[in-house]
Amino acid sequence: MRLLRRGRVLSATFGCNPNSSSLGVDVSFLLFGSLFASAVAVVLGTLLRRDAAK
Amino acid sequence: MRIARARAERFGGIVELRKPRALLQVDKALMRELGEPESPLWSLDPQGPLSAPTEVHVVLSRRCAAGCRGCYVDATPQGAALPFDEACRILDELAEMGVFHVALGGGEALELDHLFAVAEHARKRGITPNLTTSGLGLDAAAARRCAVFGQINVSVDGVGPAYAQARGFDGYAHAEKALRLLRAVKREVGINCVVSRSSFEHVPEVARLVRKLRLNELELLRFKPVGRGARLDEELTPEQARALYPMARRLILRHRIRVKLDCSFAPMVFWHRPSRAAAAFFGVQGCVGGDVLAAVQPEGGISGCSFTPATVEGSLRQAWPDAFGEFRGFVANAPEPCASCEYLALCRGGCRAVSAAHGAFAAPDPGCPRVQEHSRKRPLPIV
Repeated sequence: MRLLRRGRVLSATFGCNPNSSSLGVDVSFLLFGSLFASAVAVVLGTLLRRDAAK
Repeated sequence: MRIARARAERFGGIVELRKPRALLQVDKALMRELGEPESPLWSLDPQGPLSAPTEVHVVLSRRCAAGCRGCYVDATPQGAALPFDEACRILDELAEMGVFHVALGGGEALELDHLFAVAEHARKRGITPNLTTSGLGLDAAAARRCAVFGQINVSVDGVGPAYAQARGFDGYAHAEKALRLLRAVKREVGINCVVSRSSFEHVPEVARLVRKLRLNELELLRFKPVGRGARLDEELTPEQARALYPMARRLILRHRIRVKLDCSFAPMVFWHRPSRAAAAFFGVQGCVGGDVLAAVQPEGGISGCSFTPATVEGSLRQAWPDAFGEFRGFVANAPEPCASCEYLALCRGGCRAVSAAHGAFAAPDPGCPRVQEHSRKRPLPIV
């Protein structure tokens, strides 16, 4: 039996960039490091699946 | 959470969320779990460029009465403007390509009679329009119409006298009034602040204003020596470049505000060696011109970034697969000290527009602390 791998969220950018000259990137999240990023990826993946299942 | 739409990419796809507003890159497996159809892109090398930009900057005009001394588009009261029909044609094409956001600016976009009609057309085509404005001339009626935009940022390069010092005219009272009017209409209102050598020390005052007016973000933009700014000696000193990211962290923690840095500040962030995994996940990266973003100039030409000259005329959709090689090829051909930098894939060599302004588009960003250290260490040539 083939084991199906769960899909992953690879990256997330929040909000919209209003600046018409460059891309603004949120550095607030860098304060929390890679463990926080992994946790956010799992939570977003779960919420996406739940939303799609509705 | 509400999914607005999804777009297939080589690595999987990009999912747009309406609430919270976000763009998520997901792998193929998750795209399948979400019920998205199989895409021919999934058989291609996942390292290639995106199928379309996620965001396009539309410089609606080079028209502005303010006359800021460092204006990067060299805007004047009689400057060129993108006609309404042409703006709609471009938005239609961007919608067909799957572009998610446009950032409307100028010049002063509010001076154009058709600004709101352009924004409403973008909405009709499923694109979120966002706006940068100086706020000059904005009244309560215009502020109410600004509800059509996603995020609106008002340019404020200093508070009180520091504003006039930075921009060359005294428009602070107008800018603060505009912020209050807009904030009364919507929550997604913030400040764009150009950080230059002389305005650097005043940035904390702007952060305090963001907190005081309960704005949702402070976006710090790097001064670039282009347009009228090319005549100014306002690039950050090496000490300021190193101090920028620690300052941003302090402002986040002290004022509990969201601070964004523009993509050209990537070298100043990565010099402090933040988590690469966190930076990649939250989209902290350097030049994404000609890939994640593109820019439409008021004359109708298209460039990889609004700071660089147009290289595409006509259809962006047709040109996209093979265009902007000068942007996309930097990482593969990076010279030292970028080539040996562990952050190269994220930083992408800093800002191409700044390198071009210093004479070499494909050279490492001369404002990068690592590049500056490398230059100091390099042995003198033997004569």
